[in-house]
Amino acid sequence: MKRLLLVIPLLFGITAITFSLTKALPGDPVYSIVGERSSPEIIEKIRKEIGADKSVVRQYAGYIALLVQGELGRSYFTGRKVADDISVKFPNTMRLAFASMIIAAPLGIFFGFLSAKRRGKLTDRVITLLSVSGISFPVFWSGLLLMLFFSLKLRFLPPSGTGGMQYLLLPAITLSLPALATLVRITRVTVIDIMDMPCIRTARAKGIPETGVSMIHILKNALIPLITVIGLELGSYLNGAVLTETIFGWDGIGRYAMEGIIKRDYPVIMGCLLVGTLVFVFINLVVDVIYHYADPRVRVHGTDR
Amino acid sequence: MGLTGKLALGVLAFIFLLSFAAPLIVPYDPNAIDLDSLRQAPSARHLLGTDNKGRDILARLLYGGKISIGISLLAALVSMIVGLLLGLVSGYTGGKVDTALMSLVDLILSFPAFLLAIGISIVLPAGICSVMIALSAIGWASFARLIRGHVLSLKESAFIEAARSLGCSSSRIMIVHLLPQCIPLSLVMAGLKAGGYIITEAGLSFLGLGAQPPTATWGSMISTSRVFITSASWMVFSPGIMITVTAMCFNLLGDALKEKYDIGMNKTL
Repeated sequence: MKRLLLVIPLLFGITAITFSLTKALPGDPVYSIVGERSSPEIIEKIRKEIGADKSVVRQYAGYIALLVQGELGRSYFTGRKVADDISVKFPNTMRLAFASMIIAAPLGIFFGFLSAKRRGKLTDRVITLLSVSGISFPVFWSGLLLMLFFSLKLRFLPPSGTGGMQYLLLPAITLSLPALATLVRITRVTVIDIMDMPCIRTARAKGIPETGVSMIHILKNALIPLITVIGLELGSYLNGAVLTETIFGWDGIGRYAMEGIIKRDYPVIMGCLLVGTLVFVFINLVVDVIYHYADPRVRVHGTDR
Repeated sequence: MGLTGKLALGVLAFIFLLSFAAPLIVPYDPNAIDLDSLRQAPSARHLLGTDNKGRDILARLLYGGKISIGISLLAALVSMIVGLLLGLVSGYTGGKVDTALMSLVDLILSFPAFLLAIGISIVLPAGICSVMIALSAIGWASFARLIRGHVLSLKESAFIEAARSLGCSSSRIMIVHLLPQCIPLSLVMAGLKAGGYIITEAGLSFLGLGAQPPTATWGSMISTSRVFITSASWMVFSPGIMITVTAMCFNLLGDALKEKYDIGMNKTL
């Protein structure tokens, strides 16, 4: 598994970037510990204590050592450990992410397929236009519209909060829209590509009924790009849909990050960035492993598609 | 280009014109607070109504549009130029340069984009510039990867071999022969990117990371007015519609260009 080994330099690269972002943050951490008015001796002492006098390389090594222990620092405001907070909020984010993917994946594949089959017809045009508008709606705007309509006008669903199905539905739909639209677009072009392939003509020539051709031959070939998109979208939801969670008051990592941003609570922001990225990398890795089993061609040609 | 593409281009041109000629169109200062006319519904005096500080929404919408569109276009341009050049060098030179550049690209693309954009804009002083830098710092990577792939396939074609055997230097081949071949592809990508940037920029300013108050951008207008969504919905609707229409036009334009140049890059986008 060459791909697995490639993750190691990637992890170093990612931590190097988050580390340099942390270093570049405005303000001196020493001052935020002791305040601006301390004497130079105390500042010097603290500087030694937290290791701010060491070289950048040593500081980076220390940063990695802390990360390996699962230490992400403490919030400036609540004083709680960022890692603890994230582990509480992550399950909520996970529920939201999977719920929206359960909505987006089947619908996206279905409509993309339909659009490709009816290529050039009215159905295709309508679906294409809708999918373009889907990727053009920012989630905070579509979320507000859904909230206005379903919670404030019709009073069907609660406008915000964390909890059961009735709370989950609106944010999940909001979050699923861009993924749904992307899936429709990708499915459409993939299926159109595949429909022109000789193997499909062969299948038809053998007298396999049209539904059989669609279901087995086309869908199977379309699987790889679709898995990629689903994986990527799921990966980006799992690091906290900052905007959606904020609007609907969903108590996940995204809203946690947002609170950090408003208060300029840097350990919280950087913790969310790092954890989010690690989750993203992990999901991509899983997608690669799925490829390996889903498509024999990948096994023959190596990981380079 | 089909009808939809032309239509999208027309609407975009119209929005541009309105935004950049804003001082000629609306008599109001977008930041002038008028406490006598708080949250007024659309009327003949204020075509799109006023916001919670009595500022004219049409004025804020147009002045803000200049910023939102300006940032997105500039970021698309910067990512295009950087990505184009690095992708060209990477693809043509190959070897260690290629490995190094592509590792960097992989690294950037392995971050969730919106989160990284937040991270970069937090580090930089809040403002319009930092949003643009954040967008371009991430955006060039996908351009570079696309262009590199294109250059790799072009490199083997006969006209490049001819140029090489005539004694053209590498830099001449890259600039004179390869670069023009990459331009259509980059423009299509830039169109689609600009649509995405409109949305990302709006998202960042919704979070308060973009232009700082009192300067208006579409995202921040939604952010400040969302608490009034039931009592003064016009405050939320006009910027929301503007974002969607603009992003949609960029996307439709990108799609139309893609079809026109018959570029088979569907899967990479």
